[in-house]
Amino acid sequence: MTVTFQLNGEDCRFHGDPMTPLVDILRQERFLTGTKAVCREGFCGACTVHVDDEAVPSCLKPVGLVEGCAVTTIEGLSSGNQALHPLQANLEAADAVQCGMCFPGMVMSLSAFVRDNPHASRPEIKAAMVGNICRCTGYERIVDAVADCLDQARKAGQLVGGINV
Amino acid sequence: MAPGVERSFTAASTLEEAMAARRQGAAVLAGGTCMMRDPRRGIDLPEAVVALHRIPALSKVEIEPDHVVIGAAVTHVVLGRALHGAAGFEGLVAAAQGAANPGIRRVATVGGNLCAFDFAAADLSPALLVCEATVELETFKGPKLLGISDFLKDRHTLLTEAIVTRIHLRRDLIASAHIRLPLRKAGDYPVAIVSLAVDKDKRCRIAVGSVEPVARRWTALEQAMAAGPPSALDPERAAGFALEHNDFQGRDGREAEGWYRRQVLPPLVKRGVAALLKTEGLA
Repeated sequence: MTVTFQLNGEDCRFHGDPMTPLVDILRQERFLTGTKAVCREGFCGACTVHVDDEAVPSCLKPVGLVEGCAVTTIEGLSSGNQALHPLQANLEAADAVQCGMCFPGMVMSLSAFVRDNPHASRPEIKAAMVGNICRCTGYERIVDAVADCLDQARKAGQLVGGINV
Repeated sequence: MAPGVERSFTAASTLEEAMAARRQGAAVLAGGTCMMRDPRRGIDLPEAVVALHRIPALSKVEIEPDHVVIGAAVTHVVLGRALHGAAGFEGLVAAAQGAANPGIRRVATVGGNLCAFDFAAADLSPALLVCEATVELETFKGPKLLGISDFLKDRHTLLTEAIVTRIHLRRDLIASAHIRLPLRKAGDYPVAIVSLAVDKDKRCRIAVGSVEPVARRWTALEQAMAAGPPSALDPERAAGFALEHNDFQGRDGREAEGWYRRQVLPPLVKRGVAALLKTEGLA
């Protein structure tokens, strides 16, 4: 079966088993190894990507279900040649990254969250993170960075993600 | 699947198309959160699959003054948003917003949650039991309506020739609550779940999930509580009745042993009644 979708803004065509987990196509066929396959049960969040702007676990997403969808991975959030996503910049500034295993998923979950919840409180930020497990346990610094990111956006009168409010 | 055999995958755009695939033996794929984990449990994925996400009628929540209809392909997130603030559905909203984790809730569907018959810890089952939901099925012989208790008991047989299409709820509740006990905040199935509701006749409905293999109403407790005046809805008193009328046989599982699941029910009932009393309908 052929499945066609947008991957980081470009057309992507997959030929093969439609029940293949999206994470395997990203990593093994597209070499987008920022997305991590860890628990493969939807518990750890390391494989989180955006499908039509929603943060979802790619380990449980059969590629057949993304036909016609727009998929964004951590590589698509910022190419490296351009400015970082504001959340990434705040995480870097807060020195929040430790081993890096959970981080791509953490960023994908939280970048969608800050876009949709510009006035989120600290408990709401924590609630948004419960599906992203960090074994380095650096949670508090991540929460700090997200709170700073939202605070800066509010002061600038912008939603995180660049949309003026 | 045998090497060289191509898997059949139908993204049905109509119910008729889905039923045609079902008659050919295709398994129903909802959000994928259950089926995609089968290989981890040593279970092969089905050779033929039919996905329901492109059927518009199954992906919406219709809220009318006297009833609500929930499409089987509605996700937990969409359900929680749609019913947020609707009086009487506080428990169902809490179940939809508290199950699993945010990523799963964006994908996992109402129909998938009800049809995963080997998943005892489904949050929506007890929440829908106290709503006295009616499950609409499309069978090989036509549509069929079934009370949720009967559906949950018989779903293993029913689903061999049917697809769950919609859930119907009457708007006859004035308050409800949903209390779950996971051992950790995230990545854990609840040890026990207690859903409670009070209807317009001030009758208390109580259902329990995750303690036994299939969620069910706690009729012994409901009857005991009905014996007193409605104004006597009291957390401590309810917990006392729950201790006295605990007729559950706890299932042993990885998260907890059966005796523990059974033992935590009275305090969960106490929390549940306290939550009920804080709702707008009873405050």
